[in-house]
Amino acid sequence: MSKYDAIIIGGGHNGLVCASYLSKKGCKILILEKNENLGGLANCASSLNGFSSKVLGDLKINLPKLNYNSYVVALHSDQQHTILQENNNKIIFIKSGANEENQKKFSSLIDKYNLYASTLSKFMYEVPPRLKSGSSKDTWQLINMGWKIRKLGKKNMREFLRVIGLNIADELEDNLSDNTLKGLLAHEAILGSNLGPRSPGSILSLLYRQAIQNGLFTSEKYDFHQLIPSLEKICLNQGVEIKNNASVKKIVTTNNQATGVILDSEEKIDAGIIISNADPKTTYFDLLGTEPLDTDFIRRAKNIRTKGNIAKLTITLKENPIIQNIDKEKMNAKFIYAPDINYIERAFNASKYNKYNENLCFEFHHCVKVIVANIYYVPHVKNNTHDKERLIQHSINLLKPFISNLEIEKAELLTPNEIEEKYHVKGGHWHHGDIEIDQMLMMRPFYGSAQYTTPIKNLYLCSAGTHPGGGITGINGRNAAKKIMGDKK
Amino acid sequence: MSQTNISYKQPLLETPFHEKTREKCYAHDWYRWAGYKAVNQYTSTELEYTSMRNTAGVIDISPMHKYSIKGKDAKKFINKLNTRDITNIQPHQVVYALWCNEDGFVVDDGTIFCFDENNFRICSGERNLNWFEDTAIGFDVKIEDISHSIAALALQGPLSCKILHMLNANNIENLKPFYFDQFTINNQKITISRTGFSGDLGYELWCDPSQAHDVWDALFSFNKDYKILPAGLNALEMVRIEAGFIVVNADLMAAEHALRPNRMRTPFELGLAWMVNLDKEYFNGKEALINQKNRGIEKKLVGLDVQGDKPAVGSVLYNKSKKEIGIVTAAMWSPSLKSNIAIGYVDKENMKLGTIILAEIYHPEELEYRKIWAKCKVVKKQFINLERKNAVPAFI
Repeated sequence: MSKYDAIIIGGGHNGLVCASYLSKKGCKILILEKNENLGGLANCASSLNGFSSKVLGDLKINLPKLNYNSYVVALHSDQQHTILQENNNKIIFIKSGANEENQKKFSSLIDKYNLYASTLSKFMYEVPPRLKSGSSKDTWQLINMGWKIRKLGKKNMREFLRVIGLNIADELEDNLSDNTLKGLLAHEAILGSNLGPRSPGSILSLLYRQAIQNGLFTSEKYDFHQLIPSLEKICLNQGVEIKNNASVKKIVTTNNQATGVILDSEEKIDAGIIISNADPKTTYFDLLGTEPLDTDFIRRAKNIRTKGNIAKLTITLKENPIIQNIDKEKMNAKFIYAPDINYIERAFNASKYNKYNENLCFEFHHCVKVIVANIYYVPHVKNNTHDKERLIQHSINLLKPFISNLEIEKAELLTPNEIEEKYHVKGGHWHHGDIEIDQMLMMRPFYGSAQYTTPIKNLYLCSAGTHPGGGITGINGRNAAKKIMGDKK
Repeated sequence: MSQTNISYKQPLLETPFHEKTREKCYAHDWYRWAGYKAVNQYTSTELEYTSMRNTAGVIDISPMHKYSIKGKDAKKFINKLNTRDITNIQPHQVVYALWCNEDGFVVDDGTIFCFDENNFRICSGERNLNWFEDTAIGFDVKIEDISHSIAALALQGPLSCKILHMLNANNIENLKPFYFDQFTINNQKITISRTGFSGDLGYELWCDPSQAHDVWDALFSFNKDYKILPAGLNALEMVRIEAGFIVVNADLMAAEHALRPNRMRTPFELGLAWMVNLDKEYFNGKEALINQKNRGIEKKLVGLDVQGDKPAVGSVLYNKSKKEIGIVTAAMWSPSLKSNIAIGYVDKENMKLGTIILAEIYHPEELEYRKIWAKCKVVKKQFINLERKNAVPAFI
């Protein structure tokens, strides 16, 4: 008899959530984390807007709430920045160069998307149905999903089905004339996915984001530095064993059934269930090996789109930054620079060919002399051939026009390649794979591997690569745990 | 002599034997085979067929797809790829194999040649490079398409061994079926395997394109006494039906080609259950095949002994109460058996040997079709089973 009921590979937030749920039901769990610290990519995230309140409630986690109004600032090169605030899903224009009609249309567009997103968000906590299974339960669930969309009403359902395949640029150009507002919404639609504003499906990507974070610019609700330690505490309290610096070399299978893992140190640990919190490609190609997988399956695994394109820049300044025309109290805002659709599209264009255009887009937060920025599009390139010094210089040059006292003490940059290496995520992709129509719900990560299961018995997935997808939500870990408990019965 | 420069001026490639085959192809009846010009019939299909069953026929099979599989994991890779267990394969051995996709549907069939533990060759009817390369992800193997760099002839018929023997192929009569070796004929060192598609005693000759003409000439050097003929595809089709061999994309749709999922077939449905080793640790489609084995098959490819003398080409099959139950995939009048034979699919109620069903034959008779309801008996696909095929030593 093995000592553990289940081993979770990877102590990212989903791994921890999954362990919390399972151990609550009395399972003996071992978490193997490759790095020194738990948390994985969650440590790389600049906010935890999307962390599921349902998961927090289930696990009885009380994260300290941060009580302040948060703003969104769309930077403009003439220093006439647009400032917005989102309050209870309503957009308030604090300052904007856009005329009233544009402001109104912008708000109604977001309202419309919020409505669709709320339909999508109903699917988040369900294990998506299996296709072609022939089981009545799956068919029923599929009908149920269709019904939820139908419940939008005839007009809205039509509009919903119309826009999910569209690109955001077309929709914005039809409705708005203000470039800054168009750029702002396009930015939200494509951030984190390998899409441009003119890529089909970029509206769906926006809806999905809204669905996951329950709003578009949702102000930071929790002190996210507390999240991973809280999860760790729960796990430890419930008897979960956590091993840091334990890198899994291989998942052991016999007769198409996972039976344990081998660590880099050649130590072999047995368990009845193996749960991989690594992304699907790493799980299948590196940890499991292709030997027990069908060729068609390997093809699909190989073809999931996991190309990351966001570099993370952290700069420490000598003094607090000053941005022209922005008051001190609004300095906790999220700053976005994506001035117009064509500017973004051009940057994306270069990244398609693994190059980067010097005119990149970015968003950043500021917190006591430290600026944390997501710079895109910086492509994930083969063999990590980035010229980093140049990249850092370019990134700083991007910030320079806006911050008048930019005196840098220290600048650090993580390219997608480095994110890949540091957090063991293929392609350095935030969400373990683009969230697009063919890579979501019962197709996430891909047909044959959805529903948190794998072709190997007792091997499960719980990473962001599964439904409902990326972001720091913890829902993947919860759903996987539910699925595993269901299978055990 | 690898010719890969196809253009609109020369849309089809010519095999290394082209000069020779063109000379003999009086009928000028060519067809397209994997981008090559290949002969349908040289003079008369029946004559070519007769030579294969009575003396020997020579078929240019150079267009066949050939893949070299080399590397540390070559054997492991092939074991994953195909449904048979080749763990105990010996050097110089050939294995007929099928490979399936994840749903257990046949992707293609072919022959696997083992040179040594780390060096194999697979010959197949369809292009498979993409399938092989995707299957090989994670394996230490190098896969190369060597179709253009090997010339191949099939020498099939009762005199085939005698001809090779007279050409001083040393000890050729003791080469066992499904084995191959190096031989020297007409001063050319070539590879000869005792394999073929005729269900008769026969060999396949593999050589460098530069040796092609010498090898061809050598085979015909005894034609004063032993009349052997070059044979085209039509004649080959006749002998293969008699032997009960299947052709991918004729008797079944290759899984990679079929657009309609219900057109694909599993080895069980093809009556090739003996080629599936479900005890093997892992291979493509294992899970699906186990499921199908437990569930049972819905249709099966069987042999049919058809009443009358009108070939049931393309006929729809019915049960006794004239309910549609299947379709004929290949049919002919067999000159050797003096009977009307066919291969076709029947449903599970009618797949037992000896079952009588009906074929609806539309026989063209001077611009009008005559509809014939021919009784058919379900028989084994292998209509002809010649003792000389597997005899060792072979007839010289």
